[in-house]
Amino acid sequence: MITRQFGSEVRWMLRRPRTLIGLFGLVLVPIVISFGIWTAGEDEGGGPPGLGAILQGNGMVVPIFTLFLSLNLLLPLVASIWAADGLAGEAQHGTLRGLLVAPVSRVRLLFVKLFGLAAMSLFAVTLMAVVGIIAGTAFLGTDGMMTLSGTTLDTGEGLLRIALFVVLVTFQMVSIGAVALAVSAATEHPLVVQAATMTTIIVFQVLGQFSSLDWLHPFLITTGFPGLIDVMRDPVPLDQIWDSTLLAGCYLLIGTGLAAMRLITKDN
Amino acid sequence: MNNRKVTLAAAAAGVVAGAAGLGLLAMPAGAGQPPTLPDVSAESLVEQVLTSEPGAFGGTVQVDNKLGLPSIAEIPQLADGKHSARIWTDGNGRFRAALPNGQSEQTVVHDGKTTWSWNSADNEVTKAERKPDGSKPDERKPDAKAEAANPAEAAKQVVGLTKEFSDISVDGTARVANRAAYELVLTPKASEKTLIREVRIAVDSELKMPLRVAVLTNGTSEPAGMVGFSEINVGPQDPKLFEFTPPAQAKVTTPEAKEERDRDRSPELGLEQALQGENPQVFGTGWDTVVGARIPAEAMSQVPAEAQGLVDRFTKKVSGSWGSGKVFTTKVATVLIADDGRVVAGAVPEQVLFDTIGQVK
Repeated sequence: MITRQFGSEVRWMLRRPRTLIGLFGLVLVPIVISFGIWTAGEDEGGGPPGLGAILQGNGMVVPIFTLFLSLNLLLPLVASIWAADGLAGEAQHGTLRGLLVAPVSRVRLLFVKLFGLAAMSLFAVTLMAVVGIIAGTAFLGTDGMMTLSGTTLDTGEGLLRIALFVVLVTFQMVSIGAVALAVSAATEHPLVVQAATMTTIIVFQVLGQFSSLDWLHPFLITTGFPGLIDVMRDPVPLDQIWDSTLLAGCYLLIGTGLAAMRLITKDN
Repeated sequence: MNNRKVTLAAAAAGVVAGAAGLGLLAMPAGAGQPPTLPDVSAESLVEQVLTSEPGAFGGTVQVDNKLGLPSIAEIPQLADGKHSARIWTDGNGRFRAALPNGQSEQTVVHDGKTTWSWNSADNEVTKAERKPDGSKPDERKPDAKAEAANPAEAAKQVVGLTKEFSDISVDGTARVANRAAYELVLTPKASEKTLIREVRIAVDSELKMPLRVAVLTNGTSEPAGMVGFSEINVGPQDPKLFEFTPPAQAKVTTPEAKEERDRDRSPELGLEQALQGENPQVFGTGWDTVVGARIPAEAMSQVPAEAQGLVDRFTKKVSGSWGSGKVFTTKVATVLIADDGRVVAGAVPEQVLFDTIGQVK
């Protein structure tokens, strides 16, 4: 029963043209990055500082670089669009009313929406990673995967790192989506959900720049993003990755809890 | 209806749990209960520290820097704040250090013969080989950095240099990186004219290896600087950690070539070289040791404009019977640069430097 609902939710999401256009846009990112680094040529070194500096001739890093960049704005934006469609969008079209009076529990309805969000996030992130591997290898070539620590991993290990990163990024995305779902449950206007989510993410990132506010930083989900780069160090230090994931987990709990409270108390 | 209330309560509990989790994550990790250890005399503990031979270990080192150094964009590692490094050693001289710097990383590996220094920011490997005559390779830069990151070595040096000039005591115990440790306290004797109030060294109760060093200055209760393990595992480490193969895409250079090329690029290197040109002269002993040098006039004029700007930005103009110059102050050290090229520095108040600078030849 519940699996059928999950399935139909994902099919329903995939049928929306904007979902497909969004996925297409996401897929362009690793291609553009690979092409850009390739045309920059050997002499220019790499791209931007950090991970970008080791991209040249190191195509397997493209998926990680792409996802790391996208996590700052692009992926939260996509998650907020899906969360906005999930509840606020349905409310706007009047279809949410039908779901709320139907003889299914509202908590289950929320979990179906959350599952749809998680499945689509995993799909989108995996798709970006796969295209990243292909584009990176095609444009930049590959000889295993060179880490930030200067070691070279073989292809199998490199793929494992990419898989780990995909899971970590997806989890961050779902956590942001859960908070967006809470907003989505409280409004009938999908645009409000997107605006609220993106404003929050941007404001968090700005606040993160002020060292005088460092007492606030551990509470911001965006604080956890940079630490995920540790996947590309060798051996992998787990503490920051773990902290980022726990931080996102707290947001997931808060978002899901608030969304559930709002849905339960909603008059049909 | 009742059912609805239960679900509502469960959802509310979820929100509260999430918020509480955020609070917990934001809280600094507690030090835990100090362990109970058998008494040990300060003298024997010092002796044990100096003779201890740390075996193989790997760990994470936290550097908490509140020295009051200006934040210079060119050298972010010096700015106040927390930095971490990971180090591994096999106990026989081979080691690896990983120094993250934002999203980049510097890795230093010494495999017994060669010191490799890798910097992901410029995709470059510096290879320093032990010279055939057996003398140490020119590993000043990378090794000095890696060594500074190792609290065990740093503490040993501090103890060795200052034990004669300090009152030494054991002040309770502490738990550092989940290991039981004695708190060894070195307090400069009253006759020492120094900015430093005390140095606290947490010494592992089993290995007698320093796990943490904290420097406290006059007038503050918070340490001005602290280097310590946040995590350590003692025992044989993966031998692969002590090998390094330069990545296929990386440039490999020698330290000499790199220095030559970097001289024009980074201003602080030029300043450093100007200071290293002369043999330093040492005045006094113990905590208030002052190191002096004279920068040759030509080197003074060779300091690149950026370096000069850097100096001007963070120093205060002073003058006295000794002449005039600029003084640079941090919580633990003072540097006085006279306009005629004399330089003196030490962990002392500026007055001591004014008194000493006349002796610089």
